[in-house]
Amino acid sequence: MSTAARTHCSVDADGRITFRLRPPTAAPARLLLVLRPKKGRPEESTHTLDLEPHGDDGEFRAVLEPLPRLAEGRWDAYLLSGPDDARERLLPGLRDLRTLVDGGTRERPSPVAVRAPYATLDGFLAIRTWLRPALAEAGPVGVDGATMTVRVRLHGTEPGAGAEAVLRLRGDKDTVRSYPARTAEDGGLSFTVACADLTTAVGRVWNVFVRPAAGARQVRVARLLDDLADRKGVFVLPRVTVDGRVVRPYYTIDNDLAVEVTAAD
Amino acid sequence: MKISFLIHNAYGIGGTIATTFNLAAALAERHDVEIVSVLRHREHPNLTAHPGVRLRALVDLRREKDHPLHGRPARVFPAAEYRHHQYSELTDERIAACLADIDADVVVGTRPGLNVHLALQAPEHVARVGQEHLTLDHHPPALRTALRRAYRGLDVLTTVTEADAASYRRKTRLPGVRVEALPNSVPTPVLPAADGTGKVVVAAGRLVPVKRYDLIIEAFARVAAEFPDWQLRIYGRGEERGRLRALIETLGLWNNVFLMGAVTPMEAEWVKGSIGAAASDYEPFGMTLVEAMRCGLPVVSTDCPYGPGEIIRDGEDGRLVPVGDTAAFGTALLGLVRDDERRRRMGRAALTNAERFAPGPVVAQAERLLQEAIDARNGARRGTTERTGAHHTLVSRGHATRDLAHVAASRALRTLRKARR
Repeated sequence: MSTAARTHCSVDADGRITFRLRPPTAAPARLLLVLRPKKGRPEESTHTLDLEPHGDDGEFRAVLEPLPRLAEGRWDAYLLSGPDDARERLLPGLRDLRTLVDGGTRERPSPVAVRAPYATLDGFLAIRTWLRPALAEAGPVGVDGATMTVRVRLHGTEPGAGAEAVLRLRGDKDTVRSYPARTAEDGGLSFTVACADLTTAVGRVWNVFVRPAAGARQVRVARLLDDLADRKGVFVLPRVTVDGRVVRPYYTIDNDLAVEVTAAD
Repeated sequence: MKISFLIHNAYGIGGTIATTFNLAAALAERHDVEIVSVLRHREHPNLTAHPGVRLRALVDLRREKDHPLHGRPARVFPAAEYRHHQYSELTDERIAACLADIDADVVVGTRPGLNVHLALQAPEHVARVGQEHLTLDHHPPALRTALRRAYRGLDVLTTVTEADAASYRRKTRLPGVRVEALPNSVPTPVLPAADGTGKVVVAAGRLVPVKRYDLIIEAFARVAAEFPDWQLRIYGRGEERGRLRALIETLGLWNNVFLMGAVTPMEAEWVKGSIGAAASDYEPFGMTLVEAMRCGLPVVSTDCPYGPGEIIRDGEDGRLVPVGDTAAFGTALLGLVRDDERRRRMGRAALTNAERFAPGPVVAQAERLLQEAIDARNGARRGTTERTGAHHTLVSRGHATRDLAHVAASRALRTLRKARR
């Protein structure tokens, strides 16, 4: 598969993405986004954008408007050109994501839709997207010798009486730990997890949720509202050793907050 | 002009590679330019070369790593050069052959060992320009001794700072060699400049001890305490990563300080911030300072030898603080974080003042120097020589003698140690 020119993109505060590139030929071309399917499944969701000439120096632009919202996942970017719509993966150019950096300070209605262009591990342009009815956006995570305190800001849902944090053991829906959540000054929630409560599950991972109010649907705690499509290796939280177990909060490859428990060595 | 750049490895990452690509690209607008990479270890360079610049490699490590000649130490490339271990009889042979056949009016070497090759092996009619991206004072005495001898075969020697050019003029005797500071250039950014609102301090470079990222992190602790919504982002990879990670944890800064990994090019990352930071103990130039300034960021830097003081005007477009002084660094950062108006004003000044590092002015100077080298070479072949003053000869001879004595003494010590074993 051949590859087309480097594609610059910029994102505005509404999530609108503008792609800029110089296609190898000036023939009409389009930009194709394909939702990466699960392994062994066919491609189903695609989104095509028209590339319009911009200025007189051979640059073309395509705009991905905030609506329609894209399904959650990873969208690979291609150039479609020629009579047979030959497909070439696009190389990433400059990604101007400065408006996303403080994205967590803005209120988001339901559903919460987030997009961040990024370079894939193999060096191509893709868009990371999230689409959730509501989001508990993780703020600072406090870790001391025995506890982990998380501040979250709710988007697309309101906090109410009986708010709580729920940690659910991955792959075992019956094992949960619950902690009361306090309302913070900024309207968000805050909760403290005693790490010793989690150590029975060695080699396992707890997913972190909040229930914004008694009887409300649980909302996943994640950190999505900035410019980082993949924060796993960047936002590294300290580990706590308790009862001969290492309890380590971390962000998953999907930027969700989770807690891993391993045996201390 | 037909210009060839000779570079260690165009497929890696670093300041010399970036500045060589930039200069080559700008010269290619009017000249015939190629980059000759001694080594190659991957298919594509990290930086995209200008379409008008040809790129070729002399030794492809993917195929020739185990070549018998590559196992034998280099003899032309000086033993005291930092990268001697990556050179070999194979590179000696290939560089010599490349220079013997070179179809260029002028060849530009980009590191001491390659400048030596150039000075010794370039054909008589080809002009030789040596570029020094490090500094004379930081070279080990044995390397200085080798360069003093070999560099006489150059026509022009460029340093990246005035300070280093002054060192060469004072401490070496290079009759007929023009020594001049040619700063690194940074291309004009494509993206709009930072507007001073981003609550991010940005630092970038290899994570090695001399860059003192530990000092930046410690200094930033005061910023995070007073302004918890500010971040420090450190871009780059290197041996210090683990230690820096541990320091972030010890200081409880994991919500504010982030090791971002290496990103090339950095432009889209600089513009997310509103302050640049650099705390090196030693910096031959300071490419990242210029990059940050060209994106509209005032930079807080240590006033280390040699570059920062020739790039930043303290209080006008950035801050210079004493080397190794964490408290002063923290105070300078806080001064800019606290005062939005001052930060923006200094950011605008940085943008304007850093224009002198744009390819335009730098390339014009480089073009003039290359032409002078060609003219000097033509003149030299006609037998012109230049006289140097007796005083200068005495001073530079003093420095040369000291280095020779140092080399002799360390050789004697090594022999003694060996004898004792």
